[in-house]
Amino acid sequence: MGTTRKHAVIDPATGKIDRGIFSDRAIYDEEMEKIFGRAWLMIGHESLVPGPDDYFHTYMGEDPVILTRDGQGRLHALLNMCRHRGNRVVRCDDGNAKRFMCAYHGWTYRNDGSLEHVPGKSEAYYDALDFASLGLIEAHVETYAGLIFATWAKDAPGLEAYLGDARWYLDTVFNRRDGGMQALGPTKWLEPANWKTMVDNCSDNYHVPTSHLSSAAVQSRFLGRPRLSHDDQFRSPNKHVFVNGHAITFRDADDNQPRYMHGVSTETMRLFEDYHRATTPEVERRLGTLRARRVQLGNHSIFPNGILGFRLALPRGPLKTEFWHFVLLERDAPEELKRVIRIGSQANNGAAGMFEQDDVDNWRQVTEASTSRFARRHKQDLSMGVGHAGPHPDYPGLVSERYISENNQRLFYMRWEQFMNADSWAGIPLDPIRARFDGTATMRG
Amino acid sequence: MNANDKPDAATLTPRQALWLDLMPFYIREAWLLDERKFRAWLDLFTDDVLYFMPRRKNVPRREAQRELTPLGDLAILEEDKRYLAMRVDRLDTGMAWAEDPPSRTRHLIGNLEAEPLDNGEVRARTAFLVYRSHLETDHQLLSGYREDVLRRVDGGWKVARRTIVLDANVLLDKNLSVFL
Ligand code: FES
Ligand SMILES: [Fe+2]
Repeated sequence: MGTTRKHAVIDPATGKIDRGIFSDRAIYDEEMEKIFGRAWLMIGHESLVPGPDDYFHTYMGEDPVILTRDGQGRLHALLNMCRHRGNRVVRCDDGNAKRFMCAYHGWTYRNDGSLEHVPGKSEAYYDALDFASLGLIEAHVETYAGLIFATWAKDAPGLEAYLGDARWYLDTVFNRRDGGMQALGPTKWLEPANWKTMVDNCSDNYHVPTSHLSSAAVQSRFLGRPRLSHDDQFRSPNKHVFVNGHAITFRDADDNQPRYMHGVSTETMRLFEDYHRATTPEVERRLGTLRARRVQLGNHSIFPNGILGFRLALPRGPLKTEFWHFVLLERDAPEELKRVIRIGSQANNGAAGMFEQDDVDNWRQVTEASTSRFARRHKQDLSMGVGHAGPHPDYPGLVSERYISENNQRLFYMRWEQFMNADSWAGIPLDPIRARFDGTATMRG
Repeated sequence: MNANDKPDAATLTPRQALWLDLMPFYIREAWLLDERKFRAWLDLFTDDVLYFMPRRKNVPRREAQRELTPLGDLAILEEDKRYLAMRVDRLDTGMAWAEDPPSRTRHLIGNLEAEPLDNGEVRARTAFLVYRSHLETDHQLLSGYREDVLRRVDGGWKVARRTIVLDANVLLDKNLSVFL
């Protein structure tokens, strides 16, 4: 095995990390190939293409991709690049169409990607065009509980292995109900920050009482939400856990409380509690008692660019990221509860979200500090909690002792190194699945 | 004073009178926003206000009815008075980082069209160009329109419903932390 570490950007013992990876164009280009060209990328949700011939326009990294459901109900992820000269064949965000006609010369593709019609196929091409080899480029697609993932890599492991034991935790949000979830969105906006900073921030609960104090304070005042302080965070029994690049934080408490989320207020708490109680038997059947009663997924990222649930950080150059904010709702939840969660989500997250708007300048300046050759000599410090994580008797993955930790962030950059230094998927290690998946829930929902 | 300085009420149509009544309301609102008098601005809204900014999608021309996301879908903003008040209160904490130091804004409001509704309320559409400058060199021009429902409360106008439609698909600004 090649043991040359071309990229050695983090020292695991000190947490010092090279800032160049946030601004260097050559590194960024290599990321597009070795990470976004290989990894399973979250690209959509089944509810965005519910019926035959529905499509939703999305991205795999920088590449525009048409997510389609063909007439037979099968999903396809098709590179939005006409095989003639390369024009996009879809320019809308979503819709319903059996075929896509390129607006340049009229080549027309079926929604399964196959090339159906070429103007002048006899008159101009002398019937010599090989239609079979000129379909839209198709990525490999798999789903997990309604979430749609795609990869360009022919040698990629299956999605189940890719998610590994992270799914044990992800199930507690994405796989709770028999009826599954529905996605609304996205709102889209451009953030002047490197994509990795947004991703590693998902495990950065350290920033919350400083970055988001103003939003938390008014919501305590107006909505009766719990107060937020560094002390509360430091004492929290929550933990970090890391599996295969996926950075999870989770609440570990045996009190059968509903998951705390945006939308909770003094008046709506009852709705959340009633729903939690009413659905607990179903969730226990689906996930087993331990996960139904004790484990609650918190902030998390799915490698490489899935952020806090089904939200995407789409790279647009080293210094820019297009952010897509969706909200996921349990399909069979009461309408009033869905409304409250939707409004809480959009009031706090998204371009105008009270919480999210206060993140951007931090990320932007972290990115910009990396562009200076002088500043770059001084590394980022991700040393918090070094040496205070390991295997846990109850919980799969690499578990931190504390909630406020930089363990997941260090591991994220080590995972980044593994992808960047490997010649192929064969060189990228995967943790074996060890967790006991009690209950009836599966990859398919 | 020359009588010609004052428009003759008898020569104005009710629509024109309404226009003249509303335009100063919008100009005053713009100054309140640009001078950061957000509590006074908040007073221009009824207690039951809906402050709504849908998403705007790329759809085929013949499916134009799908361009704006309906109420009930994920919006950019779907706020009631309480959420608006939280946003205003937040600014006073000294830690609302997106707006501390604050943005420099200029709200230009024009193209007013107003029509009375049967229930005594008024529907008013305006176009806006809002310039935002933040920190050192960040800047953005936000363009769009508002469709308001206005109600007479204590002799003055208040906005009972505001729909804000941005002329953008992917927002180009780093965040949307200013009021429109
Ligand atoms: S580029 Fe599409 S038909 Fe020519
Ligand atoms: Fe944050």
